[in-house]
Amino acid sequence: MSSDGRRSPRFIDGKDFWSEARVAKFQFRKIKAILRHASLNLPFYQRRFKESGFDPAAVHTLHDFWRVPTFKKVEIIQEVRSKGYFDFAMEDAVRGGPAVLCMTSGTLGTTFLHLPRKWRSIRGDSLLRAYWWCGLRPGMRMLMAAPAWHSLAVPETRIIEKLGVACVIPWGTFLPRFSGNFISVLTDLKPDFVSMFLPMLHALVAELRRRHVAPATAFRSVKSLLLVGAPMTPRSREKLRDELGVSEIFEGLGNPEGLTAMECSFHCGHHIFMDGCYVEILDPKTGARLPPGQRGTVVITSLIPYGSIYIRYDTEDLGEILPGSCACGRSWPLMEVYDRRTNIVQVAGKEIVPYDVRLCVDAIPEMVGIPFALVRAAESRPYLKLVIQKLSADGSNGLENRLKNLIGEHLQLEAQIEWALELPERWKGVTVIEEKDWRAAHV
Amino acid sequence: MGFGHNLRDFRIVRRNFLKPEIRRMKRLIQRGAVSPFYRRKFKPIKKLRVPDLETFSRKIPPFTLEELVEEKTASGDPYSLRWCEKKSPLLAFQLEYDTEPRLYLPLDRLALKGYAEALTRCWSLLGLARGDRVAIFDYGTSPVTYLASGSYTPYLGRGAAEALACTPICNDGVSNMSQRAVEILKTIRPRIFFLRSDCLQPFIHQADAAALRCSDYIGALVVTESEGALSRMEQSTFEKKLGVPIYRMLRIDVAMFLAVECPHCRLLHTWRDLYFVENRQDADEEIVDGAVRSPLLITNWFALSCPTLRYLSQIRGSLKAPGCPHGPHDQRIAI
Repeated sequence: MSSDGRRSPRFIDGKDFWSEARVAKFQFRKIKAILRHASLNLPFYQRRFKESGFDPAAVHTLHDFWRVPTFKKVEIIQEVRSKGYFDFAMEDAVRGGPAVLCMTSGTLGTTFLHLPRKWRSIRGDSLLRAYWWCGLRPGMRMLMAAPAWHSLAVPETRIIEKLGVACVIPWGTFLPRFSGNFISVLTDLKPDFVSMFLPMLHALVAELRRRHVAPATAFRSVKSLLLVGAPMTPRSREKLRDELGVSEIFEGLGNPEGLTAMECSFHCGHHIFMDGCYVEILDPKTGARLPPGQRGTVVITSLIPYGSIYIRYDTEDLGEILPGSCACGRSWPLMEVYDRRTNIVQVAGKEIVPYDVRLCVDAIPEMVGIPFALVRAAESRPYLKLVIQKLSADGSNGLENRLKNLIGEHLQLEAQIEWALELPERWKGVTVIEEKDWRAAHV
Repeated sequence: MGFGHNLRDFRIVRRNFLKPEIRRMKRLIQRGAVSPFYRRKFKPIKKLRVPDLETFSRKIPPFTLEELVEEKTASGDPYSLRWCEKKSPLLAFQLEYDTEPRLYLPLDRLALKGYAEALTRCWSLLGLARGDRVAIFDYGTSPVTYLASGSYTPYLGRGAAEALACTPICNDGVSNMSQRAVEILKTIRPRIFFLRSDCLQPFIHQADAAALRCSDYIGALVVTESEGALSRMEQSTFEKKLGVPIYRMLRIDVAMFLAVECPHCRLLHTWRDLYFVENRQDADEEIVDGAVRSPLLITNWFALSCPTLRYLSQIRGSLKAPGCPHGPHDQRIAI
C-alpha cells in the first residue's frame, strides 16, 4: 500500500519500500552483473578496465567498484569520431531483442544509444510506478508529447500499454510554434493526464494568454501533469498549478544514459529509481564521493544490462542527494539536479547556478516565473550580476531592493541588477550570458 | 477439352481471387453504416446492394477533407463521426492537415496492424532487410515514424523495423535542425534515409556545407510528404545534386494510406489487400507525360473502426497495370 492511501496494482513491485540494506544488496548484485557483462562483451570497457588496471572479477565491495574510472560525454564523442561509427562497443547489439536507436540532444554534444526491447520493458516497468504516483490510472486518457525520437517515449509506450491507458498525440513536436496543436488536443480530446516538457508548457501558457484564454479553461480535463526537462521552484510550481487549475504537478528528471528520479506526492525531492541506476555525487575537482547534502557532479551507472551501458558516467550535471528521508516512507533516496555544470557562475568564491537565483526571484510573488539571466564574467567577481526582464515601464526599484535583500539573505552575496525591456531573442531560455556577449549587445 | 478445362480453372481462380476483395468491401460498408458520418452519406442511396467493385465505385459517394472538417465543426466530435466503436480509440493522432478545426485519426490495434503492414511492405520494396539501419527525419507524429517500431507507439507491437529485423533511428523533422540529419548519416550510416519533403532543401544545404558525399553513407533517400510528392523533374535534379537515388513516398494520413516508389519501375506501389485505389474520372483531369492524371480515391480495407470509403485525395495520379518484377501483383500509380 502506498503512503497516500492508494493501493498499488499488482504489476508494480514493492522495491521502493524495501529496506535500505536490501536495496544496497540488490544494487551491488546488479553492479556485479553489469561489470561481468561489460568485461565479457563490451570492448569499450574491456579496454578501459585494462588501462586502469581494474579487475571486475575482484569486486567484492562497493569500494572496489569505485575504482572504475569515470568518463564524460566528450570521451564518447571522441570515440565516435575516431571510429566513424556510433557503435564502438559500448553496447551489445544482439542482446535484448529488436532495438531502436536514440539520439541524445544536449549542450555537450550528440551521442547515440541502443535501446532494445528488453531495456524498454525493464525501464518502462520501473518508470510505471512514477506515473502511478502521479495519478495515471487504467482507462484514463493521456497526452503524450514526445513520441518516437525522445528516449522517454520508449518506456512511456510500455507504460501506456501496461496500464491500458488511451493515448492522444498532437501533431509536431515541442517547439513553441506547435503550441496551438497542443491546445487543440487539450480542448478536443480532453486528456486526464499530460506528460510534457516544462519549456513547452510555458510556450503553451504563453499562447493561451496571447489568445486571451484562461489556461485553466484549456486544462479543464487534466487532473495531473508530469513535467520534465527543467527544474521548477516550489513557488513557480504553485503558481503554475493555480493558473492551470490542475490538482497536482509532478516533476521528473533523468537522462537516457540511465538516471531516473521522480517525485512522489510529497514533493520533497526526486526519488532515485534504485532498481535501474546507481547514483553517486562526486567532487568534480578531486573525484571524491560527497555525502548527502553536498553538491557535486552526478555520476551514474545503469543497472539494466541491455543496450548501451554506462558505467560510472559523469553526466556533468550539478546535483546532490538530499539528506533525510521522504515522508512517504519509501527507502529510495531523494535527489535534486540543479543545472548543467557548464552553467555554474563563480561569484565571491561560490558556485552559483540560475536555480539558486530563481529561488530568490520566485520568493517575490510579482516576479514568479519572470525571465532573467546571470551574466558571467571571464573571472570570478565579488558580486552577482543579473539581467531581469522589466515588469512594467514604471520602474522596479522596490522589487530590486527586495530581491537584493533576498539574494544577500539566502546566498550571502551582493547583487547588481540590470533591467532589460526584453531579453534578446537569441537569449530566450538561456540562463547564463557571457559578459562579453552582454557588453557587445549594448554597444 | 484441355482448353475448356483450363478456361474453367481460370474462371474459378479469378472468382477466388476476387472473393476476398468483395468480402472486404461488404464488411467495410457494413462497418461504415454504423458510423453517423457514413449513414448520412449512404442515406440518398436507394438500395445499398453492392455486389462488386464496379457498383461500389458507382454507388458509394466519395468524401473529402472539407466534409470531415464540416462534420467536426457541426457535431463537435473529434473524429468527425467516423469512429464506429462504442469504446474510445486506444490512440488518436492529430493529423498534419492545417485545417481549422484540427482533425484526428483514431486507431485501434487492428488499424495499427494494417497500417504498419503497409509501411513494412514499403520498406521491403525499397530493399530493406535484416540487419539494415533506417533513419527517419520526420516528426514522431508522422506515420512514417510511428509505424516504424513498437517502441515508438503504444499498442503497435510490431512495427516495420521489427517485421524486417531492421534498426530505426528517428529525429524530429525540423528543417532548421538539418545538421542533425547530417550527423545521423555520418554516424549511423543507414541504408535508407527517410526525409520530410520540407527538409530536403535545408538538408542539401547542410550536406554541402559539411562536404558530405551522401553515397558514402546511404543507399537511397526517400522523400515523404502528406498528399503531395516531388515532381519527376525536382526528383532528378536533387538526385544529381546528392548523388544518390531519391524515391518518393506518398502519405494520405486521413485514409491511413502509404505507397512508395519502386526502385525498379519508378512507379508507386500499393497493395490490393490493403487498399482499393481508383481514379476520379469525371473531373480535374490533367495530362502529364502523355498520361491522364486525376485525383486518387482511396478505400482502406483494414481500418474497420474508422472506415475510409472512397476518400477523395488531393493527389493526382494514374493507375498502371500490375506487372513489376519487384511486386508482380502490386497495384501501381504514376504521380
